[in-house]
Amino acid sequence: MHDKTWVPVANSTDLAPHHVFQGRLMGQELAIWRADDGHVNVWENRCLHRGVRLSIGINTGSELVCQYHGWRYANRNAGCTYIPAHPADAPARTICSKTWPVIETGGLIWTHFEDRDPPLPELPEGGAALRPLPLAAAPEMVRESLAGLAPEGFGPLDETLQARGPAGSLHLMVQPADAGRAVIRGIVQSDEPELALLRRLNLFLRSARDQILAQAALTPAPEPIPHRPERVSEELAEMPEMVSGPARLRVQVAKKELVAKDIVALELEPLRGALPASQPGAHIDVALPNGLLRQYSLVNAPGETGRYVIGVKREPESTGGSAAIHDSLAEGDLLAISEPRNNFTLRRDVEETILVAGGIGVTPLLSMAAALKDDGLPFRLHYFAGSEEQIAFGERLAALGDRLVNYIGLDPEKTALALKGILKSPAPHAQVYVCGPAPMLDVTRATAAEAGWPDAAVHFEYFANTREIDTSSSFRIELARSAVTLEVPAGRSILSVLQEAGVAPPSSCCQGACGTCMARVIEGEPDHQDVYLSEAEKAAGDKILTCVSRAKSDRLILDL
Amino acid sequence: MNTMTQPDPFMLNQWYPIASLQEILPGQPRATKLFGQRISYERNVAGALQVSDGSRALPVLEQYGCLWTSLGEPDELFDVPEYAEPDRRNVNAGSVGVQVSAQRGIENFLDMGHFPYVHTGILGALPHTEVKEYNVEMIRDGREIIATECLFYQPMASTVSTSGADVEYIYRVPHPTCSVLYKSSPMDEKRLDAIALFGQPTGEETFRGHMVLSILDDVNTDDFISYFQLHIFGQDKPILENQMPKRLPLDPRAETPIRADKTSIMYRRWLTGHGVTYGTIPAAA
Amino acid sequence: MIKLYDFDLSGNCYKVRLLLGILGLEFERKNVDFFPGFKHRAAEFLAVNPLGQLPVLEDGDLSLRDSHAILVYLASKYDGSGRWYPTGDAALLGEIQQWLSLAEGLTATASAARLAEGMDFDFDAEAARKGAYRLFDVLDEHLWFREREGSDWICAPAHPTIADLACFPYVMLSEEGGVSREDYPAIRRWTDRVKRIPGFSVMPGIFPAQLGS
Repeated sequence: MHDKTWVPVANSTDLAPHHVFQGRLMGQELAIWRADDGHVNVWENRCLHRGVRLSIGINTGSELVCQYHGWRYANRNAGCTYIPAHPADAPARTICSKTWPVIETGGLIWTHFEDRDPPLPELPEGGAALRPLPLAAAPEMVRESLAGLAPEGFGPLDETLQARGPAGSLHLMVQPADAGRAVIRGIVQSDEPELALLRRLNLFLRSARDQILAQAALTPAPEPIPHRPERVSEELAEMPEMVSGPARLRVQVAKKELVAKDIVALELEPLRGALPASQPGAHIDVALPNGLLRQYSLVNAPGETGRYVIGVKREPESTGGSAAIHDSLAEGDLLAISEPRNNFTLRRDVEETILVAGGIGVTPLLSMAAALKDDGLPFRLHYFAGSEEQIAFGERLAALGDRLVNYIGLDPEKTALALKGILKSPAPHAQVYVCGPAPMLDVTRATAAEAGWPDAAVHFEYFANTREIDTSSSFRIELARSAVTLEVPAGRSILSVLQEAGVAPPSSCCQGACGTCMARVIEGEPDHQDVYLSEAEKAAGDKILTCVSRAKSDRLILDL
Repeated sequence: MNTMTQPDPFMLNQWYPIASLQEILPGQPRATKLFGQRISYERNVAGALQVSDGSRALPVLEQYGCLWTSLGEPDELFDVPEYAEPDRRNVNAGSVGVQVSAQRGIENFLDMGHFPYVHTGILGALPHTEVKEYNVEMIRDGREIIATECLFYQPMASTVSTSGADVEYIYRVPHPTCSVLYKSSPMDEKRLDAIALFGQPTGEETFRGHMVLSILDDVNTDDFISYFQLHIFGQDKPILENQMPKRLPLDPRAETPIRADKTSIMYRRWLTGHGVTYGTIPAAA
Repeated sequence: MIKLYDFDLSGNCYKVRLLLGILGLEFERKNVDFFPGFKHRAAEFLAVNPLGQLPVLEDGDLSLRDSHAILVYLASKYDGSGRWYPTGDAALLGEIQQWLSLAEGLTATASAARLAEGMDFDFDAEAARKGAYRLFDVLDEHLWFREREGSDWICAPAHPTIADLACFPYVMLSEEGGVSREDYPAIRRWTDRVKRIPGFSVMPGIFPAQLGS
């Protein structure tokens, strides 16, 4: 009946701004919504957490928020971007709502459940969509009953439910909502005044519906198509642990633009499909043409899901990363990147958020600021830049209005003083996020500690670990889960020894800055050399970054 | 709406609440449903309670302000010792029908994460959404689940404060469709109020929730206490009635648990362990 | 001060609270334990309203029963804009009354199904649902064509009236009685718009247009 075709499941006018439409196709409930960028989403009408209909949730214009626990799903890729019950965790697993393809034409929204896209429906240009008419009857029967009926001015409907006549042309479709439920939809083209015509055709459909229902009453109603939600992946069914794979995504440089002195912005678009969801503060690894792997924070605002945006500063002491991007990379080039990872998670269960950016360190904070603004949460972004011309992403900054405070050209002393002012009084339920060059971060952390901010309320992301790593020690590591003992000699990292043994955790920056290669310490005293863990975490001694940190004790037992 | 599926033995051989005792007037027979089966009950003029499924007399128990019965052979009903403490107020706050399985109702009762979204301004408030780590364990030889050290931010945490603070909860699940929660009493910080939801599975996808409180409150009227409980339960209703599927899925891969869901994960495993099929969708063998 | 004899979970009481909130009027809520206490049938309340029905509004010496009568009174007396019940427009008043009558029908159908399913009232829920679907069909068709004519509301072209408030509660609570709104997309869009009226308030069973507000 509907084999291998697109099926209309809503009228375009059903998708009012910030509305979520509840639809149904072959027993499958759909949540259909239009984002502010115009994109139409056709999703399974079910939050993956507890099965609550997403159609009772909130369409923010860029995300769909479940009414039950506030889980947020992004426009386009349907990835979960935030789980409020665990505000300090990034949703590390790829939790993704089920989506179906969509086209919008003829004033109707179309989708299909086939494996590959069927040919587009053949529709005449223009026309007006009829008022849809749902009815409790088998779709095949509705289709058969409609064929042959002749709405006034159109002549009889043929087998494909099309009719032509003096009034114009009419094209009806039957949406198979369920085994015993259908929705009659249609498009009409005519020179007649539209509203009067729509009313007339609505009356025609109503009388057709009454006839069909009378006929349907003679046979028993068919059983509804059983609703069989897809099972979530095995990984999602487990209690979550941090995981991240080396999955490589292929993207194209859609735009390269100088956005400040020595800073270029890159817009990366997927070669096919949608990009995975990202959260504020997330970064990606970029494999550069010269073989280097570099980490860059995403600037993306919530709902900005069609591409990733990163900012890259030309570093005078560049080891080849930023120079390669500035000098050799061009629009249209292809790059391999990782899925977004987040070691700089934005908590949203707070009453006040202070963002402190130094130079290019503004990039992750821009995405945080946009998310906070979207949520209507109070925050301020303090942006330290060397000069006016070094201020990057001016448009995004301007959108923050008076929540942005600029500090231009301050020397270290004045910077320290300004930071003192910003962090003078620790408030309960307030959080601080800092990203910038290492000296500034060190000062900010010290200032915050002095002012009495608890360690756990101050979050920071270093671009790089500029400390010298001491690799002179040698020690033994025992892996509790793999039951393996390995020797770490002087001059080699724990990570490289683990990699050789094939039991390494995922890793990224390899300089103790990103936190990806963290492992749990069960016994032994770590020799922390990273800039990722907080002082409190270092003192607790139950975590270690395996790429740079070592052991003070003879042996370490790791939960690997 | 109520199918006549046979309950599994574990569900069948339990006591179930079917009415609040205060609603039963002598000589006025009433009817309700249990597992889709019509049940009638009456307090005769001599004062004795009688329950029948139309063909036989069913067991009768008067406990916690409710009339309990069973279609099987039930053991003793679980204990809520607070109910017997002399200085407590015991209130039957009402019985409400909900179009979802009783187990979905219990799982919602065990959940704190929805407070700021569903019970806004009462049991929670944005932006305070965090569910902190807590403990869950099985006690009484696996006959009961208990979650302790559960903390959640509550605006106006007590009658004497206007500011918010973390409130501590304890949750007990001693029965497949009944749960009791304890939270610090606004009147006496050292003691806990007990609030129970006793679920009567009227069908596989419908239940009546009987709300019973045993609290330290000598200020509020029964009307107000019942008003408050109905207000909270009324807020949960549109969530429960928009859950799909309506029966509780026991397959661990049916939905996506997070750490905050430790209690419900254990509850689902516990139901699976007892072979519960009524009101649930068992994992495929 | 205005005094409202009120039951929290009653859609008819909620209509009145909605308008009181929108008009920014202070009022005292007198909770009548309709359920589970059935206090609306007790002598104390029968002295206030011999019909034993909620809500009842007292304003000075005036005592009014019937939610729609109360809406008419409050809008006529306290709405300075004259929009909620435009007394000068005969055709519009006729239309408003027509939809108030449909709202009465919703009380007899959608609300009856809700009382039967939720509070165990001895009503024929199946018949009540059938009746509710008939009314929803009429309302959805009306609202769909109103949208095509460029209007967001049941009656007046540019603003809501008491007809919108009168129809809203039992439409929005219908799922509690097993009445799905899935087949009524124009109704669903309209309920979103009602939730965005400045001064809108919620009741248990109805979520606001914004999370956690």
